[in-house]
Amino acid sequence: MDFNVSADPPHVVEFRKEVATWMAEQFKGHEHLRWSASWSTREDAEEYKFRRGLAEKLGAKGWLFPIYPKKYGGADLTVDHQMVLETELFKYGLNLSHVFYTLARIVAPVLIRWGSDEQKAEFLPPITRAQICVWQVLTEPHGGSDIANCQTKAIRDGDHYIVNGQKTMVGHHLPPDYLWTLVCTNPQGKRHENLAWLHIPANLPGVEIQHMYMMMGIKNTVFFDNVRVPAKYLIGGENNGWKVASTHMELEHGGDGRIAADPLVERVIEYCRNTHIDGKPIMEDPRVRDLVADMMIELNTLRRFNQLIYWRRFAKKPHPYGGPQQRYYQRMLRLRNGERLQAIMGADALEQNLSVHEVVDFEYAVRTGPGQLHGGGTLDTDRLIFARRLGLGRPTTEKAPETD
Amino acid sequence: MDFNLTETQEMLKKVAADFVKAEVPAHQMTQWYKNKQTYQPRLVKKAAELGWLGMMLPEEYGGAGVSTMDCAVVFEELGRGPVPGPLFTSGILSAQMIFEAGTEDQRKTLLPTLCKGESIVVPAITDQAAYWGPQAVETRLSKTPSGYLMSGTKRFVFDAEAATSFLCAALTEEGKVVFALVDRNSRGVSITPHVGFFVSVAEVRFDKVVVSPDQLLGPSGASWATLEAALDKSLPILSAYQVGATQEVFDITCEYTRTRVVFGQPIGRFQRVQDHCVDISIHLDQARWATYETIWRIDSGMPARAAVHEAKAVASDGYYHGTNYAHMVWAGPGTDYSHPMMAHSVLAHTLYQYLGTPGHHKRLMMDALYPRAI
Ligand SMILES: Cc1cc2nc3c(=O)[nH]c(=O)nc-3n(C[C@H](O)[C@H](O)[C@H](O)COP(=O)(O)OP(=O)(O)OC[C@H]3O[C@@H](n4cnc5c(N)ncnc54)[C@H](O)[C@@H]3O)c2cc1C
Repeated sequence: MDFNVSADPPHVVEFRKEVATWMAEQFKGHEHLRWSASWSTREDAEEYKFRRGLAEKLGAKGWLFPIYPKKYGGADLTVDHQMVLETELFKYGLNLSHVFYTLARIVAPVLIRWGSDEQKAEFLPPITRAQICVWQVLTEPHGGSDIANCQTKAIRDGDHYIVNGQKTMVGHHLPPDYLWTLVCTNPQGKRHENLAWLHIPANLPGVEIQHMYMMMGIKNTVFFDNVRVPAKYLIGGENNGWKVASTHMELEHGGDGRIAADPLVERVIEYCRNTHIDGKPIMEDPRVRDLVADMMIELNTLRRFNQLIYWRRFAKKPHPYGGPQQRYYQRMLRLRNGERLQAIMGADALEQNLSVHEVVDFEYAVRTGPGQLHGGGTLDTDRLIFARRLGLGRPTTEKAPETD
Repeated sequence: MDFNLTETQEMLKKVAADFVKAEVPAHQMTQWYKNKQTYQPRLVKKAAELGWLGMMLPEEYGGAGVSTMDCAVVFEELGRGPVPGPLFTSGILSAQMIFEAGTEDQRKTLLPTLCKGESIVVPAITDQAAYWGPQAVETRLSKTPSGYLMSGTKRFVFDAEAATSFLCAALTEEGKVVFALVDRNSRGVSITPHVGFFVSVAEVRFDKVVVSPDQLLGPSGASWATLEAALDKSLPILSAYQVGATQEVFDITCEYTRTRVVFGQPIGRFQRVQDHCVDISIHLDQARWATYETIWRIDSGMPARAAVHEAKAVASDGYYHGTNYAHMVWAGPGTDYSHPMMAHSVLAHTLYQYLGTPGHHKRLMMDALYPRAI
């Protein structure tokens, strides 16, 4: 067994040096933009431009999806190379998934799994090279958890689909190029068999996007009013949308794994060392130490879950309940840590610190507790899937959908 | 044993409930978090007309001379709004402080205007956020030939925007905590609203503010013990406000479980959703009865300090956890700023901190019951 994420086998030793040197060059003069890699609601134009530029440069080298074939925008490298990239990027607070706002990390593997050869050749490279931004557009206003009850209609008309309907709480504050969308192709059809997946160009006439102002930042309502979508954008074939959705959701729901660890606890310790009450740093208060210990243990647990899922995914080992377990644990951990932060630092935990980035901002960490209980499904649906994967009360256990 | 409200209390409750319905419709209070304007002079004026500011004070000082329970039923309804503004800070806590420790002259000049809403006195107590108590007071008073100079930064002052004056805790050169009344417009006072996951909170800086001896509360500035005595009477009113707020969260959430249909059935049929509501209800009821029992002790003249801390801990915890459970039920739509849940969510976080966290009050409860050797 080996938990070391940087235990480089001989064939990547040189590669790590190459990546480290390359990253240092990219960040020269931009050192202050370290940690700017989350789905930020407070970035400025400079930050966005830098991050998007960096993603494009990584993409041009095939380094965002290093294990993919070159023809799909990858670099034909190994998972060991991918680990090198993950760990070297993390030194700057970045990870491959979130170099800039796009759901490429989920969309690309789904395209690999379900796209035709022509679709992969045409759609993948702009996504994997970070030339475009894709939103995932699933949730509808009348009840987001039941996405199979999809009311956004896509009716075939010659070589087009005519799309009508409304999606909600999707995307972020910057405009998308494509909408990665679940639609209903046959309103009279059987549940789960009447759906399709469309990769909709966002600039088609009839697409209208309106901002929503929400706890975790800007989300959007997307209206489709007789949008004519060419049939070549149908992914996975007619009436196969539920299967595509299952792959997509498995990746979204924790099944993707992660190498980077949450840096929050280091900042908490720094705060506790620098904050004095009655002449003593609060780091010496046994009550504070207990709270920090709990935070640390739970974040370590999350890191181990993430690492295990990552390994199982790329070593192609089955991981039936890994995704929902990670997801549920992470949501509840954030809620608990939000309260711990408040118990340790009082109202300091509630004030935004605009001089640091969101990932290490206490206020953001507190707000993420209640705010992220529902992103990509709720804690209840996590547990529902978890229970099915454990086979509770059923003769068979549900398998995790295939991912790549 | 009798768990009924009196006829007078039922009437007070109804007046407050009608006020909330008429003056603070849900859509208005959800604007809080967007525009940060919690101080609405109109509401303070109306509350004064209804006799709610300083209502526990004797009539000779402008109050209504009501019992703690009478006052609590009003604040419980105000919490349902939740009605923002300095009704508690000025009308309850500062009023009690001045009443407990002020000189007769201070009582006569300060309290009647406070009760009319013409002056708004806001307590500014701790400098440090990571602790609540005299140890977190760092603002200093240094002696001058004619009085004092006050310097320091109160980091999180609740309702600071509304203040016409501050009741500030400061350390004397001898290291004692005293209280002084400082006019908002004094030279050297500056107020900066905070941005974060809270409402009505601002930083108040005192930069060599001139304080004359007659601005000290009472003959010599009173002490931390004065604040504790005032908190014994005031905290249960804040707890009642949080009980009302939790009740509102519970009610709107239960109603949503009946009307929101997902997977072809009202979400209230899902046991997981039921569990969230049951958990809110437990937080709500434990807060309510801890608060009422505490108030009963106070109104019956029984020792109540431990109970006061217990109720504050349970009510702050209850509002905070109750709101989190409610978020689990509302899911995405409840995180939209235009949704009432957002006003409750930020207020629950704010009141979790205000005048000490639940953890802090639990320790004070234990200290009151089982004093420590040192
Ligand atoms: C920060 C954030 C980001 C988001 N980003 C996106 C995005 O990029 N793209 C996108 O498409 N969507 C996005 N969403 C929407 C998200 O996917 C939905 O909020 C989520 O799926 C839940 O749907 P809902 O909010 O309508 O809740 P509802 O479905 O109305 O659920 C209400 C309640 O019923 C419970 N419930 C529902 N079904 C069951 C069941 N079968 N068993 C037990 N309990 C049940 C829920 O747990 C919840 O308590 C985002 C949401 C948030 C908060």
